[in-house]
Amino acid sequence: MNVQSETSRHFSRRGFLGLTAAAAAVPLLAACGGGSASSSGSSGTIKFWDMPWGTPAYNDAAKKLVEGFSGANSKASYQIIQWNNFYQTFSSAIASKTGPAVSTGGGFQAFQFEQQGQIAYADKVIDALKKNGQFDDFLPGVLDPFKSDKGYVAVPWQLDMRPLWYRKSLFDKAGASVPTDWPSLLEAGKKLKSIGAVGFATGSGAGNNIGNHLMIMMMINNGGGVWTKDGQLDVMNDRNVEAVEFLLELVSNGVIDPAAVSYTTDNLDAQWKKDGKAAFGMYVLGLDKRVGDTSGDLLVASPMAGPHGDKATLVFPNNIMMYKNTPSQDASEAFLTYYMGQIKELWRQKLMNGLPVFKSITELPEFAGDPNNVKIVKEYQPIAKTFAAQGTSLNANLAVLDGGQALNQFTQTILTGKTDAKTALAAFQSGLQSVIKK
Amino acid sequence: MSSTTAQSGLARARRGLAPGGSGGGHRIPNDGLNRKSKLSGQTKRTFFWLLLPSIVLLILINGYPLIYAGVQATHDGSLIDTGNFVGVDNFATVLSSAAFWKAAQFTLWFTIVGVFGSWLVGLGLALLLRTKIPAGGTFKVLLLLPWVVPIVVSSTAWNWLVATPDSLIPSIFRNLGLGTPLFLADPHLAAVMVMVFKVWVSFPFMMMMISAALASVDTTVYEAASMDGASKWQQFTQITLPMIARSTYISWILMTIFCVNDFPTIYLLTGGGPVDATTSLVVLAYRSVFQDFQTGPGVAIAFLMTVTLVVVSVFLYRQIRKSSVE
Repeated sequence: MNVQSETSRHFSRRGFLGLTAAAAAVPLLAACGGGSASSSGSSGTIKFWDMPWGTPAYNDAAKKLVEGFSGANSKASYQIIQWNNFYQTFSSAIASKTGPAVSTGGGFQAFQFEQQGQIAYADKVIDALKKNGQFDDFLPGVLDPFKSDKGYVAVPWQLDMRPLWYRKSLFDKAGASVPTDWPSLLEAGKKLKSIGAVGFATGSGAGNNIGNHLMIMMMINNGGGVWTKDGQLDVMNDRNVEAVEFLLELVSNGVIDPAAVSYTTDNLDAQWKKDGKAAFGMYVLGLDKRVGDTSGDLLVASPMAGPHGDKATLVFPNNIMMYKNTPSQDASEAFLTYYMGQIKELWRQKLMNGLPVFKSITELPEFAGDPNNVKIVKEYQPIAKTFAAQGTSLNANLAVLDGGQALNQFTQTILTGKTDAKTALAAFQSGLQSVIKK
Repeated sequence: MSSTTAQSGLARARRGLAPGGSGGGHRIPNDGLNRKSKLSGQTKRTFFWLLLPSIVLLILINGYPLIYAGVQATHDGSLIDTGNFVGVDNFATVLSSAAFWKAAQFTLWFTIVGVFGSWLVGLGLALLLRTKIPAGGTFKVLLLLPWVVPIVVSSTAWNWLVATPDSLIPSIFRNLGLGTPLFLADPHLAAVMVMVFKVWVSFPFMMMMISAALASVDTTVYEAASMDGASKWQQFTQITLPMIARSTYISWILMTIFCVNDFPTIYLLTGGGPVDATTSLVVLAYRSVFQDFQTGPGVAIAFLMTVTLVVVSVFLYRQIRKSSVE
């Protein structure tokens, strides 16, 4: 072998190793690379980032509302941020000072960014809402979770409620009554199973959080919850154990579909469609429209009572937050006050899937014309609790609970039924302890 | 014909010698590989300046994230704030975690099945397509579809095929009296399903690599081997496989990297579940950073993956060199 070819060989080997390292670094790039951040919006323009909360028509309507703002010598620009990797998108934009001045986002996002010193408190907006009368229009209790020692972390604008739904025709076919408490759920579930229907529909497959939410809902429906009133972990309390034992009983009796552990939201939606198997279960607001069956066969059930008489369901108060990185804090506040006064239009145009936070919106004919909506406002909203239960104040750790591995693994363990309540809860607690910020 | 004669014929065939030839037969051209070329200093400088922008770009694209990831792996911060220096604590945390080793084990199996499964299927199909079959070109295009179709689409299709008891494949099993397997709900079946899906997605790549390698094999070597009495199996093991060895090793290296780094195949089909049964290292890293907001440990996992991949790649690269020398 000649000298030159030896040199070439070494060179190509280094080149090869370089390329290999580059290819191998893909996960690093994926993990660390920033999402695209808009730099649109000139100085003095309030950048508002919004999520796809409904169909594209929602974002078009919201954009019009945003662009209608002109106050505090400022204007506002609108940008849609996709849910896919949204936290990464916000984080990288905030880190590079190219983020929004005001945004919607994940339910606990405001608290995560508050923990990192990026959030501007909304006390002045609340004062403005008091002055213009909107403060008194809030549904009871929706504002309280956002109040921290330092001020209001964000302002709620819609409620992502988890009511119970049932398909009347399947109950009629099975000769079962709609459950009002846990024993009647078990009884109805067995009858529904005998006709091939699912008595407590849920799912915990790729990207589906409904199963996770069901676990927490059943705990708080029994007066339990993951946290104490002062925000300490309290996974192993007796009420939680009792709730999980009941869930395992539902699994072992086939009331919960044995394949539910792998159901994506598409799979679950298919179960809720007209010819589907789902007869009863916890799901989102507007399920009938979501699965295209507004015939009146899909109805909201009244909240169930737990064995100790407790009644509660889960709610995620979605909110609008302001960031410290803004061309003008006054303009941010003026914009948010303005926008809170405009959101009624979104429900008027029937573009929203969430429950409104203002009483006046719940009275709009476009909203109140749906008896399921009315029932949710009347029966569920007053008893709804957040992930913070047994406490009430939201915080950054709830984001870890909501999307984290600990809850997902716990849910899947329960849905496969190959565990006992205390073992599963102990693993859940241990998983949470390892990731929450003290 | 004795086996010695057959072996001798095979060796001659691999060297590209015609039957009975004395070395003057047709050789596969190797122009350029061993040619001595001396570049002048001026030419070298020109090459250097031409290469410089690419080198700088590579450093910026790969070097900066790598260094920043190194910083994150040794700190306890978030995506926004680097946090405090914690040395190798994140690596220690990761390496002492049962979840890491479970994910590493799954990644290993996923990679082994993904690489060799897709290679075997790809090799079989490449050999089949080499024979004269009707509409061979059409088949070739159709067989490329799993590789061409976006993974989001194919994972949705596979989900429809297997996810619920009423999906097509469980229904077929039920109708055959084989019960109703829950392909994505049972942890063991879900792991198998993800691996099968990976093989399905990847075999066209292997098929193309091998087809290209086979196309460069001179058919006269098979004629030579046949005349020397080599059986079909002997021709396959002693001519075909050695002749495509270089492409095979390259495809193994690439597929190993594809498998270890594969996020969408797993995440879209099972999300890493049920109960972490299909959680690979890259899924675990993603979940750590973006679901548990544990940036340091998540990036530490990615670093460990990178190191492992480099070691494996170097080993396989040495095999390529070895096969080239042989």
